[in-house]
Amino acid sequence: MRKKVLFITMALFAVALLSGCAGGPVRGTTWPGLAADENAAYLADGPYVYAIDLKDGRELWRYPADTDNDFVFYSTPVVTPDGLVIVGSSGTNRSLIALNPNDVNLNSNNTNSPGVAWTFNEAKDQWVAPPLVADDKLFAVNSDGYLYVLNLQDGQSTKKAVKAIRIGGRLWAKPTTDGERVFLTSLDHSVIAVDIETYEVLWSEDIEGAITGSAVLGTDGMLYVGSLASQLVRFDPASGSHEPVLEAENWIWSAPSADGDTLYFGDLDGNLYAFNTSTGKLNWPPIKPNGPITASPLIQNDHILVATESGFLFAIDRDGNVLWSQEVGGKIYTTPVASGDLILVAPLETEFYLAALDQNGRQVWTFTQGS
Amino acid sequence: MWDLFVSVFINVLLWIYDVIGHNFGIAIILFTILIRIVTWPLNAQQMKGAAAMQELQNDKEWQAIQKKYAKDREKLAQEQMRIYRERKISPFSSCLPTLIQFPIIIALYQSITQSLGSTPLDLLKLSRSIIFPFLNVPELIPLNSKFLWMDLGRPESIAIFGFGFPTLALIVAITTYIQAKLTMPVSANPNDQSAAMSKMMSIYMPLLLGYFALNFASGLSIYFITSNILGIVQYAMQGKANWRSLLPGGQKK
Repeated sequence: MRKKVLFITMALFAVALLSGCAGGPVRGTTWPGLAADENAAYLADGPYVYAIDLKDGRELWRYPADTDNDFVFYSTPVVTPDGLVIVGSSGTNRSLIALNPNDVNLNSNNTNSPGVAWTFNEAKDQWVAPPLVADDKLFAVNSDGYLYVLNLQDGQSTKKAVKAIRIGGRLWAKPTTDGERVFLTSLDHSVIAVDIETYEVLWSEDIEGAITGSAVLGTDGMLYVGSLASQLVRFDPASGSHEPVLEAENWIWSAPSADGDTLYFGDLDGNLYAFNTSTGKLNWPPIKPNGPITASPLIQNDHILVATESGFLFAIDRDGNVLWSQEVGGKIYTTPVASGDLILVAPLETEFYLAALDQNGRQVWTFTQGS
Repeated sequence: MWDLFVSVFINVLLWIYDVIGHNFGIAIILFTILIRIVTWPLNAQQMKGAAAMQELQNDKEWQAIQKKYAKDREKLAQEQMRIYRERKISPFSSCLPTLIQFPIIIALYQSITQSLGSTPLDLLKLSRSIIFPFLNVPELIPLNSKFLWMDLGRPESIAIFGFGFPTLALIVAITTYIQAKLTMPVSANPNDQSAAMSKMMSIYMPLLLGYFALNFASGLSIYFITSNILGIVQYAMQGKANWRSLLPGGQKK
């Protein structure tokens, strides 16, 4: 009898542990996606996408209305010029969904939900990267290795891809454009340029390590990419010829942020770099605010904001001096977002889902589900 | 401590993956063989325990106490424990290797999902799990998760007439059943608790592992199937496999 109880206990323990690891529609399977316009913050956080009022942190709506095990959201939402909020699901449902915040309805559970303007269902894997809006086109990359081009103006409620271009590898980073080409990065170590009109692959170049962040254009007209091989690599956007220009101490996770001719970026050792594209040198020796950096720095008027895994937000001036620091709590992996006078931060492992801070780092409000 | 245990699994898996030319399915199979070698003493102990239990079923003293205390379960248990003590038989030794599978399954599951890095957080955790300095993980990422028709990071099913048929879950359940049946001690006594326990394990384990195979990463199913086949081969090679158990009524002597 004792053996039977022991066996059943162990079996239930294993089922419970494995189920917990299986990554159902719960918060915390990875870090949330965060975006904002002038009125609302949009948070893709596990089972729901939330719209949060910037005035007071109140929930404006959520999607879907009720928990649906098929949906998992963590790709950063994108707001189109006509006000739609586009977000991809990484659950068993792999739709890219355009939500209409101007068509909000009250649900039976007393929450509001937006109408769905359109869905795109052709992708076969997770949506990790947010799509790029370029004029009337949407360039959306999926973990299935395809770049899907959608027409935003065709009025269809079930979108078909204008073009599905096989790139290969897992595409986790938002595409970038210089107006002529769309640049993609891949976990498969590749940087790819696609013609924005003909969708022809112009060049595809491999670098040493996997790439999780987007490419960024410098004021020198060159393309810069950080890699998990701890290198900042400079590309000629026309030819794809490239060379490493900086060796970091550890993995460079996210895209550098361009501020004039300086690129700011962090690494997993917690170093913050200020690379000058004109001189090809660092403006100042790397500084180590406090903990690993996965988020892109946020460029503000008089300072640069850097979020760290240790849950702190640092304001750093352009000479590398720390102006202030504020403990937000939890672990911050998501790039902070600014809207008006507010700085929005979405940490993991905190009771609240989103915090709004003022320009001096003081907390204005926090958001949790149901608030 | 647990994280270190999982890290060791991850590093060994990645090292095998790197050495054999980037095939994660083969890496899991080789890793399973390694696990079987490491747990060999436990398996040997299990076989020894099973053989001792089997011999006990034919022992006159054992049979006598079964008869004598058929209506007094407490006394029967006391007498059974006395005989176990006297003959240095551990009734738990035959199920220990089965139970030790659970932490291995959980650690392997976490290793597979972290190694394949299906979410950014998994990939970030992978960067913290590297303890072998010779592993060049940024170069290895992303791991090739495709093996035969499977994506090793996801549950497996083959679409037949529009329905997902869980091939691997079925193979896992069948091989687990065969392995359990082959090692089950033959008992003539319907009241024998050890035999009842073994019988219960031979029913529940295939169902449980089949459930795991149905719902979790198919890389885990590769581990189950490889481990079961190795177990069956191991018993067969030692001439200890009870093939009659597979037949209907094969338990009866």
